[in-house]
Amino acid sequence: MTTWQSAKLGITTSGDYFLSTFMFGVMFGLTASAVGMQSWQALLMSATSFTASGQFAALEFWSAPLPLATIALSVFLVSTRNLLLGMAMTHHFDGHSLGRRILWLFMLNDPGVVNSFRQADDVDRLGYVTGYGLSMMTAWLSSTLLGLSVAQLVSNFDLGQVSFAGPLVMATMMMLFFKGTRSAPAPWILSGLVALLLFEIGTPDYLVLLGSVVAGLVVAILQARRNRG
Amino acid sequence: MVDQQNTLLAIGIMALIVYLTRSTGYFIGLQLRHIRGIQPVLEALPGCAFMAILAPAVRQGSVSEIVAMACVILIMWRSNNVALATGAGVAVLLFGGPYLDTA
Repeated sequence: MTTWQSAKLGITTSGDYFLSTFMFGVMFGLTASAVGMQSWQALLMSATSFTASGQFAALEFWSAPLPLATIALSVFLVSTRNLLLGMAMTHHFDGHSLGRRILWLFMLNDPGVVNSFRQADDVDRLGYVTGYGLSMMTAWLSSTLLGLSVAQLVSNFDLGQVSFAGPLVMATMMMLFFKGTRSAPAPWILSGLVALLLFEIGTPDYLVLLGSVVAGLVVAILQARRNRG
Repeated sequence: MVDQQNTLLAIGIMALIVYLTRSTGYFIGLQLRHIRGIQPVLEALPGCAFMAILAPAVRQGSVSEIVAMACVILIMWRSNNVALATGAGVAVLLFGGPYLDTA
């Protein structure tokens, strides 16, 4: 399957996450308006960052004077999973020029990566993830605009109960990943257990993420060595 | 009111950080790929990250949030229908929250 056919496949299989991304985009537009951002600023942020979790994290601190270092750190911490998504795709973006890979990595997105593992071997992964990303970007920008547009109608907007929708969407990706990957489950299970343990003893969020992923990584390495030997 | 210069600076910093997290992992992986048997190790990482984020979120969740999470996992397990699972989870948060969290 060619790159463009794979990109088209990515677009056509992204319907489910198009809807959930759209929902988040509306919420982001409403929240951005509530913290005093101008519409073009919120749209510029959505177009250049293209990260729901990072953008919501930034809005938590959006007041004058802008705490740039705090915003940078919080965006980095919630985006660290991108490092792992990028590493997971190491063996799947071969056959493309370095320039194309550097450019198209901008469109790397969680559901695209997760769903790419479920595709047939002949699907071009870079094309698929990029097509999926284009669809997500369309949903994200159009829904941000919608949220900004209707913000005047929804005064005193409060994320309230639906703030947990983020983890719910992440859980759908986790389930797709678990059902689609050929990896053994022990590393993820241990990661979850270590995360709980670190959380219970009051470890800072970034160390919870780091510690639990390292624990899972060690188990994955041990499994790989055992399978090899 | 946040001034325009700082707003543009913040948006630029955010875009740079997010792009670097997307590209750096891939290029680190390229440096490691010659190691025999590394592929399954790298492919296990996203699952570890999801669990590392979700486990504490569920642990500190309210009753309605835990019920919503259970609904999402159950629907995904049975149907792989993301829209249905997310919609059901959000419905539990919106309509079940006032009852479940005060019980």
